[in-house]
Amino acid sequence: MWMSIQLNEYSAEPLYHQIEVQLRALIVSGQLGEGTLLPSIREMAQHLKCSVITIRRVYQDLEAAGLLVTRQGTGTFVAKVDPEERSRHRLEAVIAAMREAVAAGLRVQCSDEEMRELFETVLREAKENRSPPAESEDSGSGKEDKE
Amino acid sequence: MNGDGRPAIRLTGVRLATSHFQLGPLHLEVPAGYVTAIVGPNGSGKSTTFRLTLDLTKPDEGIVEVLGRKMGGGKQLELLRRIGYLPEEPYRHDNVLRGMDKAEFHKAWYPDWDVNHYRELLRLFEVDHSLRLGKMSKGMRRKFDLALTLSHHPDLLLLDEPSSGLDPLSWRAMIDLLHRYMEPGDRTILIASHVVEEVKRLADFIVFMLNGRVLGMYEKDELLTGWHQFYFPGAFEEWRGVLSGMPGLAGLEDAGGVVRAVTSSAREAEAWLVARELAPAGRKSMELDDILAVLVEREKLHRRQGTKGVMQ
Repeated sequence: MWMSIQLNEYSAEPLYHQIEVQLRALIVSGQLGEGTLLPSIREMAQHLKCSVITIRRVYQDLEAAGLLVTRQGTGTFVAKVDPEERSRHRLEAVIAAMREAVAAGLRVQCSDEEMRELFETVLREAKENRSPPAESEDSGSGKEDKE
Repeated sequence: MNGDGRPAIRLTGVRLATSHFQLGPLHLEVPAGYVTAIVGPNGSGKSTTFRLTLDLTKPDEGIVEVLGRKMGGGKQLELLRRIGYLPEEPYRHDNVLRGMDKAEFHKAWYPDWDVNHYRELLRLFEVDHSLRLGKMSKGMRRKFDLALTLSHHPDLLLLDEPSSGLDPLSWRAMIDLLHRYMEPGDRTILIASHVVEEVKRLADFIVFMLNGRVLGMYEKDELLTGWHQFYFPGAFEEWRGVLSGMPGLAGLEDAGGVVRAVTSSAREAEAWLVARELAPAGRKSMELDDILAVLVEREKLHRRQGTKGVMQ
């Protein structure tokens, strides 16, 4: 599941931040269930072609946020996220993404009105195009803890 | 993870002068637990730095410390046994030996020689060690030497252009192998490479070298996300003054109707542009070789101006 993390090399957004946002979203959405073993720092760095310094920082930040736990000698696992936390984190990721969208709009001098219009359009499009929710039973991790 | 934070290699004020080359004063700290890549044009002193680190060349001045010990002090042999070194060129005087004979030498020399690991590496690289070294193709010889270098589980690996002569599949196997080598977390690689993709995939830190000196050392991801180029349509003269205060400005040039501005602090530059309502027509991140080219250009300029270019 963590393999779905994608980096935008052309962005000036620090890599650790790009990774952290996506990994956090995967955990909070339950796509990475409690107890899932993450790759080692070096493996994750190799996969994403970034430095171990970046990955260590991401793991440490998410540990501090209570989303990951590292057990000495065995590795880094997804922690238990209680439902209240989950809903808080859930919105955090959305707010961060919206902030970025607004920043992108401001960069090209969008008016407030244009921005609202764009939001409505994108929302409408997303709803129209949304395929029926995909059931990912094939991953075989067996750790579904959706509420 | 990386021990007591002590660097794996520390060069302090190292100088070396030969009839045709002057190295230093060189200050360099290679952090333990990481992969550090030295990048620089030919003749910038990369291979000499390796030789100095191994005490194969003695510095005129300065201190070389490796794995916490001073080079040239006592217990040199013990120290050298903890290092794996792959020189840029294979030793030609070994050409008459078969691979397996050379391996016997290594076995005698390194108490930690691991024959199983050695055989595993030969299998991985599909190397036939019954061949004489002089009869091996360039790529096979490289793979054989790499296998030898790794077979005693060194704490420190010094790799000088390791991938020269390797085909793309062997190259991938090497990258993967080096990542696995680093997995325990307390090992260190210092690698010199001209291959941009190799540095990108392996390095945690990047050291730029030029003319026998270190231009700077950077964390790779910060470096690559920090350096961007912006394009502004219009005349150079118009933009020169306007952009002169751009954060991290490292280069400004006329690209034919378009002005190219290079910055080493992309995020700050972006905020600065937004605050001034300056909208670039385009932007691009930069590859390592682009960055090196800008640094080399700037260093030359400093030299011409006689300011003994301190990079900042």
